[in-house]
Amino acid sequence: MAKYITKRVLHAIFTLLIVICIVFVLLRQMPIEGYFNNIDKLTEAQVQAGLTRLGLTRPLPVQIFNYLKQVLLEGNLGTSNKFREGYSIAKIVASKAPISIKLGLISLGVSLVAGMSLGILMARSTRTKWKAWDKFGTVFIVVIQAVPSAVYHLLIQLYGSDLLGVSMLFKESDLKTWILPIFSLSIGSIAYYAMWLRRYMVDEANKDYIRLARAKGVPSGRISRNHVFRNAVVPLVQYLPNSILLTLVGSLYVESLYSIPGMGGLLIQVIKLQDNTMVQALVLIYSAISVLGLLLGDIAMALADPRISFVKKEGAR
Amino acid sequence: MKQRVEPLLSVRDLNFKFTLRGQVLHALRDISLDVYPGESLAIVGESGSGKSVFVKCLMGLNDQNGYVESGSIEYGGKELTLLKTDADWKSIRGSRIAMVLQDPMTSLNPLKTIGWQIREAVELHQNLKGAEAQKAVYEILEEVGISDPQRRAKQYPHEFSGGMRQRVVIAIAMACRPEILICDEPTTALDVTIQAQILKLIHQMQEKYNLTTIYITHDLGVVANVADRIAVMYAGEIVEVGTSDEIFYDPRHPYTWALLSSLPQLGMKGQPLYSIEGTPPNLFREVKGDAFAPRNPRALKIDFVKRPPMFAVSPTHCARTWLLDPRAPKVEPPEHILALRERGRDLVEKAAAGGMAATGAAGSLTEEELPPNADWPVPGNEPDGLARETTGPFGEIPDRRAGGSGAKAADTQAVGEKKGGDR
Repeated sequence: MAKYITKRVLHAIFTLLIVICIVFVLLRQMPIEGYFNNIDKLTEAQVQAGLTRLGLTRPLPVQIFNYLKQVLLEGNLGTSNKFREGYSIAKIVASKAPISIKLGLISLGVSLVAGMSLGILMARSTRTKWKAWDKFGTVFIVVIQAVPSAVYHLLIQLYGSDLLGVSMLFKESDLKTWILPIFSLSIGSIAYYAMWLRRYMVDEANKDYIRLARAKGVPSGRISRNHVFRNAVVPLVQYLPNSILLTLVGSLYVESLYSIPGMGGLLIQVIKLQDNTMVQALVLIYSAISVLGLLLGDIAMALADPRISFVKKEGAR
Repeated sequence: MKQRVEPLLSVRDLNFKFTLRGQVLHALRDISLDVYPGESLAIVGESGSGKSVFVKCLMGLNDQNGYVESGSIEYGGKELTLLKTDADWKSIRGSRIAMVLQDPMTSLNPLKTIGWQIREAVELHQNLKGAEAQKAVYEILEEVGISDPQRRAKQYPHEFSGGMRQRVVIAIAMACRPEILICDEPTTALDVTIQAQILKLIHQMQEKYNLTTIYITHDLGVVANVADRIAVMYAGEIVEVGTSDEIFYDPRHPYTWALLSSLPQLGMKGQPLYSIEGTPPNLFREVKGDAFAPRNPRALKIDFVKRPPMFAVSPTHCARTWLLDPRAPKVEPPEHILALRERGRDLVEKAAAGGMAATGAAGSLTEEELPPNADWPVPGNEPDGLARETTGPFGEIPDRRAGGSGAKAADTQAVGEKKGGDR
C-alpha cells in the first residue's frame, strides 16, 4: 500500500514538473509586453533592465530551473504584472479562492446528497410497475444535460430571486443570497450523480451475487444497502477528490451572474490582460489540483475496492 | 397398494408467463412434478427450456415481469404461488430452500470478504451472533474443504480459484441450513477436473444434512452421476420424467432420444457428434401440438395438431408423447439409441465403479417407494382401448414437411374429440 502510494506520488510530481516546463516554455513565446504594465512608456533600456531583473534574459533551461526553485523551495508564485501590479499572486488567489471554495463545497454537498438520493430512488423504482421516479429522473437529467447551462442559470436567477424575494446579486453577509448560486452550481452535478449512480446500481442489481444474496434470504433493504449501493458507489468514489479540489477554480458563469468575487473567470481575465506571470501561476495551481485530485481519487478507489492490487500493476480500470 | 412416500414439494399444472415489451412469453407450460424427501432430482433440457425459470419459481426469484398464471406449488403446507413480496418469501428463501448458482466467478460479492458473506447467511438463518457466528463460519469453510479457514475467511473472492469459489457458494448455501438445495448448473462454468470434486462435495453435503437436491443441467454426464430421478424439459414443459435408469435405458420421448444421442461421451470415434437440428419453438407464440414435432424426424401427424398428454410408462416413468398412445404405431427409437442404451448402461456402471456418487445408490428411493402417477393415464387402461393405427392422424409422416401441412386434415379433429378426456 505505502509502496503503491509512494509510486503514485512520484508519478504525480513528475507530471507536474512536465506541466510547469511546458507552460513556462509556451509563455516565453508570448510577446514580452506580458511582463510589463506600461511597456509603451518604457525605453528600450528600461525594458531590458526589467527583463534582466526578472531573470528572463538568461538561457531558457536556467530560467526554468530558477522558476522551479522559486516555486517549490520558496513557495513563491511571483507577482502580478498587469492584473494588480506588484501584488503577490498568492495573496490575490488567497483573497478570491475562499468564497469560491465555500460555495463550491456547499453545492458539492448538496449535489451529492440530492443526486445520490435521486439516483437511489430511480434505481429502486426500475423494479416497480410505473417506474415513476425513474421516469421523472430521466426527464430531469435529459433536460439538464440538453439545455445549455446558461439558459437555466439565467432562469434560476430571474425566477428564483422573485420567488425568494432576494437580491439578484450575491452578498457574503446575507445568507439568503447564497441560495440561488448554490442551487445553480449544484443542479448540473445533481443530474450527473443521479445518472451515474442509477446506472451503476441497476448494473449491480442484475449481477449474480445479488441473486445469490436474495437466494440466501437477505432482506431487500439490506441487499440495497450492503450489496447494491456499496458496490455502485465505488466507481463514483474516484471522482470525488477531484470534485472537491476543483471547487477552488470556481464557476465562470455563475460567479459573474451573481457578481461573486471568486476565482471563476480569473484565468481568462489574466490571459486577456496578458499577465504572463499570473497565467503561469494559475495554470500551475490548476494543474496541481487536477493531478492531486486524480491521485487522491485513485487512492480512494484502491481503498474502496479490494480487487485493485497495490503490488502488481493491473489494468483494472 | 404400494407404500407411498409423501412428496416434499409438489408442483401441479404450473403455468408461468413473462410480459416482455407488451408480448407474453409462456415460459412454463403445465408443469407437474413432485420432489421427494432425500432424493436427487435432475432437470435437464437445452438452454431456454425453462429449467431455471422453474426452479426460480420455487424461490420467487424470477424477474418482476414474470407471474404465475395458474397452477400450484405446495411446499411444507404452504402455497408458494401466493407469496408475492420479499417479506412473504422470507420463510422459504435460504431458510428452507437454498441455491448454488452456475457461475462462481460472479456469484460472490467482489467487495466483501468471503467470511463476511458466509456470516451473513449464518446470522440470518442460524441465530448466531458475534464470536459464535464467526466460529460457525470457520466450521462451514472447513466442511466444504477449504483449509486454513481463519486466513481464508478474511480474503476476497478474487483471491480464490473458480472451484474454491464454488465451494464458498456451497458453504453459503449450507450456512442457511436448508431442506432443499437447488444447484443451477453447478459445474458448467468449472474446469472438468474440478467438476467431479464439486459434485462429490454436494453429494457429501446431501448425505450429511439429509438434503433434497435439485440439479439443473444440460450435461447428461453430470446427471448420470448424481441423479435418482430425471425430468426432461423442452419448450417450457416436462416431456419425460423417470428414474435415472428409466431415462437412460428406456427413454420414450423423441426429445429424450435426441438429447441422449447428443451425449459426446456416447459418440463413436471418427463419427461426427450428433446434434439436434433446428431450434426450440418461440414461446412468445402459442405452441401447437407437440413442441418438439418440427425437429422430430419421427413425428406423427397428430404431433402437429394436438398436444400429447402425459402417458405413464411405469409408476415412476411418464412421458408426454403420442407414441405412447395405444393407437400410435410402434415407433422404435433410432437404432443408435437402442445401441446407446447398452453403452449408456456401461457408462453409468463405469461411473459407479469409479467411486462417484452413483445412480440409484443405496439410500435413494426405490421404485417401490415412489407413488404411482395417479393423475396420468396408463396405457392399456384407455377407455376405448383402440387398436394401434397405422394410418389416419397417428400415421407416420414419410416426409416431415409434407406431413406438417397434411396434419391439418380434418380427420385429426375426430381423434381429438374421441380422446377428449385428456388434458
